[in-house]
Amino acid sequence: MSPVLRMAGNFLREHRWPALLLFGWIALLALASADLGRQRAIPGDVEFYIVQQAIFICVFSAFLAADAIHNDRKSKRILLVLSKAITRPEYLLAPLLGTSVAAIAYALLFDVCCLWLTDRAHVAGAAIWPLTLLVIAGSILAAAVALFFSTFLNPYVAIAATVLLFTGPGSLHLQHNGWSAWMPGFPILLAMIDLKLTPDATIQWKAISIAMAQSVIFWMMAAAVFNRRDIAVPVE
Amino acid sequence: MPGVLDFNSVTKDYGSSWSRRRVRALDGFTLSLERGEIFGFLGRNGAGKTTAIHLALGFMRPTSGAGHLLGKPFGDAATRAHIGFLPENVALYHRPAKKLLRYYGGLNGMRPRRLQLRSAEVLRQVGLELEANRNAAKFSRGMQQRIGLAQALINDPELLILDEPTSALDPLARVTMRELLLEANRAGKTIFLSSHQLSEIEMICHRVAILDQGRLIKLGKTDDLLVSHDRYEVVARGIPANSFEHSLPQVSSLPLDRDGRVQFTVAASAQRDALQRIWSLGGEVLSLNPVRRSLEEVFVELTNKGSGA
Repeated sequence: MSPVLRMAGNFLREHRWPALLLFGWIALLALASADLGRQRAIPGDVEFYIVQQAIFICVFSAFLAADAIHNDRKSKRILLVLSKAITRPEYLLAPLLGTSVAAIAYALLFDVCCLWLTDRAHVAGAAIWPLTLLVIAGSILAAAVALFFSTFLNPYVAIAATVLLFTGPGSLHLQHNGWSAWMPGFPILLAMIDLKLTPDATIQWKAISIAMAQSVIFWMMAAAVFNRRDIAVPVE
Repeated sequence: MPGVLDFNSVTKDYGSSWSRRRVRALDGFTLSLERGEIFGFLGRNGAGKTTAIHLALGFMRPTSGAGHLLGKPFGDAATRAHIGFLPENVALYHRPAKKLLRYYGGLNGMRPRRLQLRSAEVLRQVGLELEANRNAAKFSRGMQQRIGLAQALINDPELLILDEPTSALDPLARVTMRELLLEANRAGKTIFLSSHQLSEIEMICHRVAILDQGRLIKLGKTDDLLVSHDRYEVVARGIPANSFEHSLPQVSSLPLDRDGRVQFTVAASAQRDALQRIWSLGGEVLSLNPVRRSLEEVFVELTNKGSGA
């Protein structure tokens, strides 16, 4: 097993409890939105659940990644890890990979829950699989952006900066700008908010490809900044 | 020929570049470690020892100067596969000791088969083979330090860098640790040992460096450092024990009479007078040697001088 995979596995193991909590949260809210006492679920409730959970998974991924460096530095566990044959970019790739694995697992559970709910609400489920792919891409991008900010900011500030980057263009009503497709996270967020449970939904390959490319760019930027950081200096 | 670990005029300042409050932790520090030696690195708290170690491992960059680890510039990741490092405060993940060792070994690219063999071997070496399946993060501090040493040894490193390896150990574990280090050294490993346990440094280190306020104030072979050329110890026979009490003011300790022998120390400038007096009293000089001090005495003298005390 490569060192990066080992570190990613360890990262997931270290965060297993919050991760499991989110699994429970997704399943529990699906049950709550299913209106089990009725013959069928209310389409409005189902739509709300889908959009809310899709965004929530992205935000949770940002939280998971933003804390990674800070945790290791605060506990000084980073010293033993980086005293091995590990480069700083490899070290950063591990939480990104771990978060991505967690995001894929969430997205698959989310997908199953959504399909069940749309079936119970008697609405088309064709939009769920394209949305699931968007959730995965959005989560990976959110994690990469949060990881980048966390290389030089406190994790909470890093999360705030990530949320601001994703939602800022919306606040400025830039959705009709020609460049909006290239703004990090923005097209994915728009697609989630504008979700329509119609039978003609298609996979948004362009938004997904851009998000994946941007994730790589943010990881490289994070590595460039982190390469210059004094990691043995204590953090609060 | 480059040493195992070289610092060339390394300076390290803490504090952001725009901040006025900058602290100089290392100041023009130069040092070269020779292959196969056990090197003692001494200094008071805040002298810059840990900073020097962290620079060598690439945890931080020097403000100026440069250094090499096994011939490669500081920070080269591949080189660290041949290093074993034990930090001052060992912080471990919540995993069974055995799995934790395999994890750290795996980060150095070790293969599973070798990892399995080595983890069992090093656990036995540090005396924790019976604790292999216990959560290492819940160990006592002394046990964590032993696991820390085990992870440093797992990749069979060329160079061991140990920062306060015995600070949390009980006396028995300290003896075991000392024997382990000597055994590792006999197996060809170079050891860089930063410690406040001066008696241990004195016992096992070939060379010693003393750091004060970021500057190297003493470097040399341990034996040379401990020998004083200011005072000499004289052992004589056939003279009364009180022969020197009033005649030579430089005689620092009262003569001791043991089996007819008299032993005392004398300042270097007074040794000729002392010998002539022994002979004039009809006595015989059995030995005349420079006084050997403890490392603690040398350390206190040098660091007090350095701080102007």
